[in-house]
Amino acid sequence: MEPEEIIATAGNGLPPEVGCEADHRGVMLRVPPEHWLAALAFARERLDCDFFDWLTAVDEVDQGFSVVVHVYSLAGRHHVLLATPLPRSSPRLPTATGIYRGAAWHERETHEMFGIGFDGHPHLAPLLLPDGFEGHPLRKDFALAARAAKEWPGAKEPGERGVPGEPGERGAPGERGVPRARRRGPPHVPDGWGPA
Amino acid sequence: MAAVDLPPPGVAGRPGTGPGPGVITVDTGGGCSLRVFDAGLACCGVEVAAALRRGGAVATATSGQQLNVFIVAGTVTDKLAPYVLEAFRDTPLPRRVLSFGACANSGGPYWDSYCVTKGVDQFIPVDVYVPGCPPRPEALLAGLTLVLRAEE
Amino acid sequence: MGAGVTAGTPADGLPARSRGVIALLEENCTVCMLCARECPDWCIYIESHQEPVPGAEYGGAGDPARAPAGRGRQRVRNVLDRFAIDFSLCMYCGICVEACPYDALFWSPEFSYAETDIAALTHEQGRLREWMWTVPPPPAHDQGQRPPQD
Repeated sequence: MEPEEIIATAGNGLPPEVGCEADHRGVMLRVPPEHWLAALAFARERLDCDFFDWLTAVDEVDQGFSVVVHVYSLAGRHHVLLATPLPRSSPRLPTATGIYRGAAWHERETHEMFGIGFDGHPHLAPLLLPDGFEGHPLRKDFALAARAAKEWPGAKEPGERGVPGEPGERGAPGERGVPRARRRGPPHVPDGWGPA
Repeated sequence: MAAVDLPPPGVAGRPGTGPGPGVITVDTGGGCSLRVFDAGLACCGVEVAAALRRGGAVATATSGQQLNVFIVAGTVTDKLAPYVLEAFRDTPLPRRVLSFGACANSGGPYWDSYCVTKGVDQFIPVDVYVPGCPPRPEALLAGLTLVLRAEE
Repeated sequence: MGAGVTAGTPADGLPARSRGVIALLEENCTVCMLCARECPDWCIYIESHQEPVPGAEYGGAGDPARAPAGRGRQRVRNVLDRFAIDFSLCMYCGICVEACPYDALFWSPEFSYAETDIAALTHEQGRLREWMWTVPPPPAHDQGQRPPQD
C-alpha cells in the first residue's frame, strides 16, 4: 500500500484524534492512549500489518513517555509506526498481546526498563534485569553508577598538576591552575553525576 | 486475523548430543593436553571458535598431565553471572580460567552499563587475561601458552 | 601452524593497519589531553605539569614582538609525567589515534601480550614506547584513494 492509501484508510477507519504522518520510512500514527488497542487492531486487520517487529518506549523528559510500536505488512510491504504519549507519573497502557502475541516479551522489557505498566499482560515479570535490581535503567534520570564513581581521566587541563578539583601546585613561574568553575566535564555525562 | 499463539521456546536436543569441548594438543614432547571449555557469551566466542576449529600448537609444556581450561569469552551480564559461576564449578579439576577479551577482563566497552559485570574476575578466580576486542584467534593460543608457562 | 611455535606472529603477514596494540611516541606528545578526553572507555591516564622554557620569554630578548619595556611572561611547556593505557578496558576503536593532532599515537599489529595479573595490562610510558619499534611503516595507498594532502 502506498503511504497516501494508508493515510486515507486510516482517516476513514480511525477516530479523528489519531494523527497520521508519512515519511520515506513509512507511516507514523500518533494515537491517544484511549484509542491504543483500536489503532493496533486497525493496523493488523485493515492495514494488513501481520508482522509485529518491536514495542518500546521513549523517555521524552518533560513530555512524559511515548510507547512506540513498529509493525510491517509482508504482503503490502509497508511499515507502520504507532506512537502514544503517556504521562510521566504512573504511566499505564492496555497490553497489545491480545492483538499481537509477540508483544509479550517486548512489554516485559519496556515495563522493567521504563516502569510503564501494561494492563492485562499475562506475565509482566522482569525479563533481562537481574533479581533485586532497583530502578528503571532506560529512564533519562537513571544515573550510571560507573560513570559517577570513576574519575574522568580528561578532567585535567594540559599541564595541570595534582588532583582534579584541587588547586594545582604552583611550581614553575607562569604555571597556573584552572578555576573549578571553568572545568569541563566528560562528554555526554549530565552535570551532578561526578564524584562529590 | 486474530493473534497467533506459537509454542513456547524450548531446548532442542538432549544433553550430550552437541559438540564436545575442543581439545588442543600440545605439539612438544611433553604431551600435555589442554581440554578447553568455552563459555562463548558474545562476539569473542566467534574468535575462540575459530581458534578451536583451526587447532594449533601451544608451545613449551613439560608435564604429561591434562589441564582443563575454562574460557570466558564475551560480555558477562549480571543476570547471566550465576550461570557462568555454575559452569565454572562444573569444570573438572585441575582447572584454570582464561578471561578472553575486554568484556571478560573488565567490562570492556560496557564498563559503564547498568547490567554488565565489570570483569569475570569479580566472582571467579582468573589465571590469564587475554586483551583484545576481540583478540585474534592466535592471541588465544598465546594465552594458553601462558597458562602452561604459569604451571612451571 | 608450525610445530612448537606460537602461531600467527605479525611477521606472518597480518592485514595492513591491523589493530593489535597502541604505541606512544612521547616526543610528539604535547599533552593536549585530546586522546584522554575522546576515549569512550576512559582508559587513557595522563598526568603532567608545566615547566618554564629557559631563555624564551614573551617580550624577552629573543622575542621579535618585543614589548618596549620590561620582561614579558615566562613561556612554559607541558611535560608528560605519566601516560598509561589500560588495555583491559580498551576496545581498540582507534579514536585516540585519530584524535591526536600531533601523531603521537600509532597502531601496531602485535597481539600477544596476555598477562596473569590484570594490573599488568595497564601499559605505562616505557612499555608504550617499546611498542613503537613494532609499528609498521604506513601501508601503500589503496587503489582509487584520494592522493595525500601533504
